Amino acid sequence: MKRWVTLILLLTAVITLAYVFQVPQPEDVKPLGEFYLENSYFGDYSAKSPEVITSILWDYRGIDTLFETAVFFLAIIGSLTVFRLTKEQEKEVKTEPTQVEPLPLPIRTVTKVIVAMILAVSASIALHGHLTPGGGFQGGSALAVAPLLIIAAYSKYALEKNGLDKTRALILRSIGLLGIALVALVPLLSGSYIMQNQPVFPAEINGQLIGGSLIYYNFFEFLAVGAGFTAVFLLLAIPEEKFKKILGVRR
Amino acid sequence: MSEILFYLGAVMIIIGGICDLFGAIGLLRFPNFYVRLHAATVGTIGGAVVPLFGVALLALGADFLPHRYAIAGASFITGIIVLLAAPAGATALAYAAHKARLVEWKPKVDHLAEVRGDD
Repeated sequence: MKRWVTLILLLTAVITLAYVFQVPQPEDVKPLGEFYLENSYFGDYSAKSPEVITSILWDYRGIDTLFETAVFFLAIIGSLTVFRLTKEQEKEVKTEPTQVEPLPLPIRTVTKVIVAMILAVSASIALHGHLTPGGGFQGGSALAVAPLLIIAAYSKYALEKNGLDKTRALILRSIGLLGIALVALVPLLSGSYIMQNQPVFPAEINGQLIGGSLIYYNFFEFLAVGAGFTAVFLLLAIPEEKFKKILGVRR
Repeated sequence: MSEILFYLGAVMIIIGGICDLFGAIGLLRFPNFYVRLHAATVGTIGGAVVPLFGVALLALGADFLPHRYAIAGASFITGIIVLLAAPAGATALAYAAHKARLVEWKPKVDHLAEVRGDD
């Protein structure tokens, strides 16, 4: 009974507070916001991206974003270092144990369908990053769910047999990183500042809005984040027994 | 036409709410893992898929709504994805629990054993 009273009191309090203290509606755009809008959406030298946040993140606060991305990659490199193995151990980790019973059929079939859907959705999130909320990191995180699902429903060996092993994932991730670095450095060639969009990259191609450098950044970040997560997931999916064998732990 | 869609969608959303309530009660009250899993699936299929289809119908019927086809399509697709994924997830959970012998297994009726006995 006491709990019910508390619950009802809490609910009433929350609802009353929400009713009394309504969020104030902004009446006009603040000067700083106006500046950002002028320089990222309107204006001749802007990326013309309706998703101003992405524009600001990559162009006006590009170094900030670069270091955030660097933190993520350091985390991945750290986990790769923790899991470093010799050549023989790598081979041992990649050999499939024989007596593995596959999961029931419905799980495997549904996983196939959903993996295809996830690939499409993640590509859409990343490549629409300059138009809608979302972008490279979000798209890449969504992309990384696909190999994770395959690992859960089939096994990590299925992924490796189909060509996506740790080395390939790392290569893809490096390509993504290299792409980001190149896109960041290109403006220097024409005398602009580093990581600045305007007016080096065209805002439109064939009348199709691509938001200057934003689409390149988003695509490469998508690749790098997706592949980086995949590499870590592949490492985490190594069975415990194999590690015990490698480390020489007695049963 | 739009009124029919509106009432159909509203009824489906109400059904969803009821299913969610039943699912939650079942999750709290049912005796063991497998039956609780059933309650959880009632909550996802009845409580998420059906109202999502309801929202799709509502959006189709609402002439004043901007982007109503986009909303309807997105709800419909999301519903289908949940409809596919929830049973697969439940199957995986039940299979894993059974395989690992983590849950006490006291069936009142065991159809699988009967079928296997006939083979």
